[in-house]
Amino acid sequence: MPGTTDFVINTLSTVAREGAIRAGRGLSGLMGQEIAIHIPDVRLGTKADACDAVGGSDAIVLGAYLSISGDITGHVMLLFPIERALKCVDLMCGQPPGTTTEADELAESAIGELANIVGSAFVNALADHVQLVLHPSPPTVLSDMAQALVETVYAEVLSQGGDVVMIDTVFEDRGGHVAGLLIIAPDPAAVARLEGLAA
Amino acid sequence: MSAPPGEQTRISVGIGQLAVSRDPNEVLIAYGLGSCVGVSAFDPEAKVGGLVHVLLPASDGRTPDSKEPARFADTGIDALVKRLAELGALKRRLRLKVAGGASVLGPANAEKFKIGERNAEAIRERLKLHGLVPAAADLGGVKGRTLEFHTATGKTFVRTAASPAVEL
Repeated sequence: MPGTTDFVINTLSTVAREGAIRAGRGLSGLMGQEIAIHIPDVRLGTKADACDAVGGSDAIVLGAYLSISGDITGHVMLLFPIERALKCVDLMCGQPPGTTTEADELAESAIGELANIVGSAFVNALADHVQLVLHPSPPTVLSDMAQALVETVYAEVLSQGGDVVMIDTVFEDRGGHVAGLLIIAPDPAAVARLEGLAA
Repeated sequence: MSAPPGEQTRISVGIGQLAVSRDPNEVLIAYGLGSCVGVSAFDPEAKVGGLVHVLLPASDGRTPDSKEPARFADTGIDALVKRLAELGALKRRLRLKVAGGASVLGPANAEKFKIGERNAEAIRERLKLHGLVPAAADLGGVKGRTLEFHTATGKTFVRTAASPAVEL
């Protein structure tokens, strides 16, 4: 895919792993138990890849969106297939898996907080890594068809000619693990700025 | 090849895709329209129909990739009308239904993501250029939609994550 170089992908991979460590620390502190976040894969993705990763284009997902503002701009989205989101809520609340059965107010609030911690950790890690001032917005919690959410970020970035970076994100405590998808889409001007830092 | 009578073949029309059909067993579906806009068209006499899943408002003179003929509203609508005409449809007989163009990232981000609104407007304008006016539309809002077009009846249905399919 043209537009996003290896340098940018490598930068975002490094940043994602640093962000995961920070977010894990934040979550562990909040939850009072050890929660680790693993980043098994960072890659450029197509719209279909992103939807497949969360259960297909018709799948219902629960997640949250944050925008990045400051020296560079972009979009961050954390998505879970609905059943995994509910499992994640149980994990966050220290409940046995299966306790949460619907995306109620508590579930939405938990996912919003999770996205806030993970998204902010990522944005702050990026800001430190590239020495730029970046601000994550408060999260907007979303429950909708996977494709509807993914394509909207895609359309916004593609209308300016950019790429979308997909980061597999696995949350793990002693009792098990649950995988979500973190989508990072720097606006094309931001990609150019990041590439400028490579020179 | 056509499916045996009575057996529906469900064809997914992905982002930027276009499909036309004269096979009464075929159902054309645009899943998860967020800011994208789906347009179904049906000629009840020729009994042919089609569906486009448009991603962006304007081609700005770019030739769309042959793999994504309906990527842009303007060239996508042109391609739909052309492909339907090739199957024997007459433009003046086309019944059009339009759905999508939502702000799925919530009211807080609606101002930033105006792409849904711009897509809907671009579709309307391109249809107007062809002398066409949608018979029905379900546009805007904050929820994603799935649009189904049934070639057998020419009917179009829209559903969301929270509500079952209703005819448009």
